Amino acid sequence: MKKPIIEFKDFSFRYKTQKTPTLEGIDLTIYEGEKVLILGPSGCGKSTLMNCINGLIPFSYKGEITGSLKVAGMETRQASIFKLSGHVGTIQQDTDAQFVGLSVGEDIAFSLENRSMPRREMVPEVERTAKIVGMEDFLSQPPYQLSGGQKQKVALAGVLHDEEEILLFDEPLAALDPAMGMMAVDLIDRIHKERHKTVLIIEHRLEDVLYRPVDRIIFMDGGAIQFDATPDQLLATGLLKEHGIREPLYISALKNAGVTFDGTEHLADLEKLDVEKYKEALLAEFSAARSYQVPERGEPLLQVRHVDYSYGERKVLDDVSFDVHRGERIAIVGKNGAGKSTMAKLLCGIIRPQSGSVTLNGENYLSLSIRQIGRLVGYVMQNPNQMLVKDMIADEVRLALELNGFDKALADERVEQTLKMCGLWSKRNWPVSVLSYGQKKRVTIASILALKPDVIILDEPTAGQDYFHYTEIMRFLEALNRDYNVTILFITHDMHLAIEYTDRAIVFADSRCIADDFVFKVLSDKKVIDEANLKETSLVTLARRVGLDPEAFIRRFIEREREDRAHGID
Amino acid sequence: MELTKRLFINVIPGTTFLDRLTGRTKVRLFLAFILLLIATWDMRIILPIFVVSLVGLASIRPNWRLMAGLAGFIALTNLFNLLLIWLVEQGYGDTLVGGSHVLVHVGRHYVLTAETLWYFAVRFLKFMATFLVSITFIQSITPSEIAAGLYALHVPYKVATIVSIAFRYIPEITRDFSDIKISMQARGMELDSRKTNLFKRLKQNIVILVPLIIVSFDRIGNIANAMDLRGYGNGKTRTYYSEHEMTPRDHKMRVCYTLLYVALAAVLVGRIFFPGPYVVWAPWI
Repeated sequence: MKKPIIEFKDFSFRYKTQKTPTLEGIDLTIYEGEKVLILGPSGCGKSTLMNCINGLIPFSYKGEITGSLKVAGMETRQASIFKLSGHVGTIQQDTDAQFVGLSVGEDIAFSLENRSMPRREMVPEVERTAKIVGMEDFLSQPPYQLSGGQKQKVALAGVLHDEEEILLFDEPLAALDPAMGMMAVDLIDRIHKERHKTVLIIEHRLEDVLYRPVDRIIFMDGGAIQFDATPDQLLATGLLKEHGIREPLYISALKNAGVTFDGTEHLADLEKLDVEKYKEALLAEFSAARSYQVPERGEPLLQVRHVDYSYGERKVLDDVSFDVHRGERIAIVGKNGAGKSTMAKLLCGIIRPQSGSVTLNGENYLSLSIRQIGRLVGYVMQNPNQMLVKDMIADEVRLALELNGFDKALADERVEQTLKMCGLWSKRNWPVSVLSYGQKKRVTIASILALKPDVIILDEPTAGQDYFHYTEIMRFLEALNRDYNVTILFITHDMHLAIEYTDRAIVFADSRCIADDFVFKVLSDKKVIDEANLKETSLVTLARRVGLDPEAFIRRFIEREREDRAHGID
Repeated sequence: MELTKRLFINVIPGTTFLDRLTGRTKVRLFLAFILLLIATWDMRIILPIFVVSLVGLASIRPNWRLMAGLAGFIALTNLFNLLLIWLVEQGYGDTLVGGSHVLVHVGRHYVLTAETLWYFAVRFLKFMATFLVSITFIQSITPSEIAAGLYALHVPYKVATIVSIAFRYIPEITRDFSDIKISMQARGMELDSRKTNLFKRLKQNIVILVPLIIVSFDRIGNIANAMDLRGYGNGKTRTYYSEHEMTPRDHKMRVCYTLLYVALAAVLVGRIFFPGPYVVWAPWI
């Protein structure tokens, strides 16, 4: 007999500051020991749902609750966040903010300290949970020496003190590179199995989560549950695309080939899927490939030659060389901490190479000031909140022009031009603070474009955004590139982005540039993938299983996706 | 080894005798020295404390270069201060010590007395000892131990937590600040001191503060949630992972600070109930 552990009954919630409810008429039962994925576009109410379970609603975020929610037998409205915290462990998305201790050991011990556990019991307990996540050798490390993945493990260890039977993961993959993401999914799975926890994962990187099986997917949109079934059943439908969630790539490839499903196939696990049935359809689709033409390259814009850079003793860039041509879209990918961000800072002139040379538009970059370089190379940071300083959109875009001493007439003209380019002209007098995250991102891009740089570098442009907003931003950038010939470098660990929107990938691993080639070549090169902490895409696996050349298969897939996009088919 | 290198503020305890005391012993020891230094003008107490704190600082093997720089700065400002006092009120030392033995005449109007010199020596040494005690304390304690030590003194743990949380997030805020600065520089803001005047640079730094404040507030909200979710603020009491059990070292040091508190009480009783005519003791008065 399955025992319910979380029970929503006709549950609705409205934030005090909002007119309409964010969650409406939720009926949902989650049983002990289940592993459930909660899926949905941004703003669908999935985070609100989670905050209802862990008690942040209604204790920290005030609002109006109707209906009933029982967690571990307690009606949450009558319980306290502290009581709930004994049953529900939450691993938040922001790995930095949730690391409240000054060392790994202290952070793992935090909830025990709050329970006034005597230290002689605390120390072995901390060691025990640190061992479960494999962090026992790091107990006296301060947080700034840890990677995002390690911080997440620490957060997990901090809620494994046996009392919490429910674990909530809020977008656990958001800050991780592909290989670390796989490790995280595997660790969650192991803990679910070995410790018999009930696990809820919120994530929109569906394919990555499905690396290990989940029992059920709850699909939300518009504050209500749209679909509640097994992954196999959900994948067979067209719901995901309709609601702006990205399907696993192999599913898209099969659907491209005209295959339809009835929900009885093992769609969630490519290993178990009987691909023989679809071989013919895949071959037919594959043979539609046109002969590949190497895209024409513009004149070289940036030439990086034998560049070295170290922070103190630690070498972060080691003999790096590559070229960027006008009009290219390039993905800079690789392990966290492999030197990608340092490379970006170096290209912007914020740091200078200790040896080697950079030529920018034919000029020796070392003789230029940061400001001069800034007019040629624009840098868009990951978090738009770190860039926005003005109240109004138009002023934000004007700022760089003012700082660079443009006269008023020319600045006005540039502001208008840029805002129109970015589809922000009608919003020019809006305050920046009312914009959504994605819109803010667009403003930051506009504020950089105003100077008409030859190259713009975007640091993780799509981090933390769902597929809908992701597509919106990427199409906007695609149009900038196509219509205005803006050269774009993406620093990213999103392989999907690289596949869909770039032509070339420069791969960094351990401070060296280990590959510089077409995206489909890089992604089918096992050695590069392993070295750079990337993940082999499911397209490669699918191609191998039906006996097709993976490289050509990815190429055809990219071609097909771009054709569809050009024709407006989604 | 990079990990064991002593920074100005250390998050991970070191390995020397003082480092390995518990937070509560460190805080109590520090308070005993500091309160005694504040209470007294007696060279017979100040000089020993000065010597002991110098030994204490040496025992934790600090970064001598940094220490010498700091000490030099403190000494210079102090000497300058003494010079000003002497210029403004030459007889100040005499009234505190209670005598006036002229040593030298400087020019037509200025004299230097033995009493003034003695008072200046006491004052200088008192400030230097305060500096040595403080720096030894700061260098040998971690923020978590400060929190634990304060909690052991019955300071409410929510107050104590502010200390440790502040130290936890200072590096993050500095990093945010430098990231924002970088992005502004790339957009054309000139922060080079050779090219922009001070006023303009100040104005530009204020512009950087806007996003810094917004980003920090986001962070604070997240931190508060993270703490609530792990049961912070629920119980009346709290324990500390960083606060290890008392060791024989701690017991030895407890004897030391108890003696210091006795001395402090004696000094206070002396000053309140048996006030002599003069504040500063001198061997010849």
